[in-house]
Amino acid sequence: MRKDKLSYKLTKIIKSVLAALAVPIFVIYILVAKPDYTLMNGLAHVVLPVAGFVGDIITWPVRAIGQSVDWVREMSNLRSENKMLREKLDTAMENKYSCDIALAENKKLEHELDVKRASPYATVIADVQFEDSVFHHDTFLINRGKKSGVYGGMVVVSFENRLVGVITDCGTHFCRVRALTDTDSNIAVRVVGSGVSGFLRGKGKSGATVGFFSDAQFVGRTGLKIITSNISGILPSGIYIGEMIDDTRVDVLKPNQNSRVMVLKYNDTDAYR
Amino acid sequence: MKNVLNILKTSWPFLITVILWRLNAYFWNPAGILALIPIFYYTFVKSTDWFVLFALIFCFLIDYRSGLPLFWTSLFCVFYAINGFQNYIDIPHMDKNAILIFMLFIGTGVFILMLSKFTWINFINNLWLFMWTSILYIPITALDKRIT
Repeated sequence: MRKDKLSYKLTKIIKSVLAALAVPIFVIYILVAKPDYTLMNGLAHVVLPVAGFVGDIITWPVRAIGQSVDWVREMSNLRSENKMLREKLDTAMENKYSCDIALAENKKLEHELDVKRASPYATVIADVQFEDSVFHHDTFLINRGKKSGVYGGMVVVSFENRLVGVITDCGTHFCRVRALTDTDSNIAVRVVGSGVSGFLRGKGKSGATVGFFSDAQFVGRTGLKIITSNISGILPSGIYIGEMIDDTRVDVLKPNQNSRVMVLKYNDTDAYR
Repeated sequence: MKNVLNILKTSWPFLITVILWRLNAYFWNPAGILALIPIFYYTFVKSTDWFVLFALIFCFLIDYRSGLPLFWTSLFCVFYAINGFQNYIDIPHMDKNAILIFMLFIGTGVFILMLSKFTWINFINNLWLFMWTSILYIPITALDKRIT
């Protein structure tokens, strides 16, 4: 189409008007739909898997090469790792023997006392798919969704039972998790060993800080341990978050430190906000 | 063979966008942000049929994965509208594939995000993303010329 033609100019203006109209619509939508963004998230639940599937097919050779490089690197470390693991295994076998005795004894005592062991929450194991730490936001996707019984507001922990984040949006086969370092993350916490509560706030790449203590005289210091508190029932209480590294900053787990996580099926009517 | 090459040439803008979005990496391409390069280039510099709708979808996907509700999508619409209403700046005929306008596009977004939550580490990180996308704009647009 010739650029000096009237129809070309008209089409260009119509497209520009549509684009200009879209901006206030988006702004109004963001103001109205906050914080759930149901329509936007619903759209993403369809578009994201489709784009991901197409992307997987197209980028397969590139990712295969990357994987091969990782394997070669892993193989080159295998010999030294093997030696180290053998030493660890010897020590572990020694410990195992004494543990076996203790376990048998424990089982007997449990039986006698009629103690029932149960985890307070059911768990779902998930792989971290994408770590989307960009600008001051820290979110990541996990490969379990509504089909596995995972929903928004549930808590994601590491295999060391350390809080990693909270699920903010759930598709059929994936979920988006907001990490503790995300600037929109603001959770109620408690300082272990004191009755002091406070709020842990994400600071993007700077990590996370704790503040707004229930006791105004309280001053944080290095080494204090921070756990979740159950204010408003938004998060289950007692999950370890991390240690304080100075008077405000807390050493929290970052999304890129986990390749696999556990979702605690914490069921509460109050969804995460 | 010629048909395959033609298909590749026609679909290249779409392919490179999907590739850059999909090959996201923690430090080098968080949330597939590098896909903004072909999104800008094939919308404003070398307009491609039906690419605008595709660009909107991928802006939306970058926003979704970044946790920024409709931020880049809105910014893209603003730039698209401004570009359509003016004829003072002729982006397709600007030097170096209009890298300055691209830097303005990315810079505006990064600047707004930086002001919204300012810390020095975030500032350095944002600066890095701005520089990295601006630097990569040159080879990616040059690659387009080699292919098409």
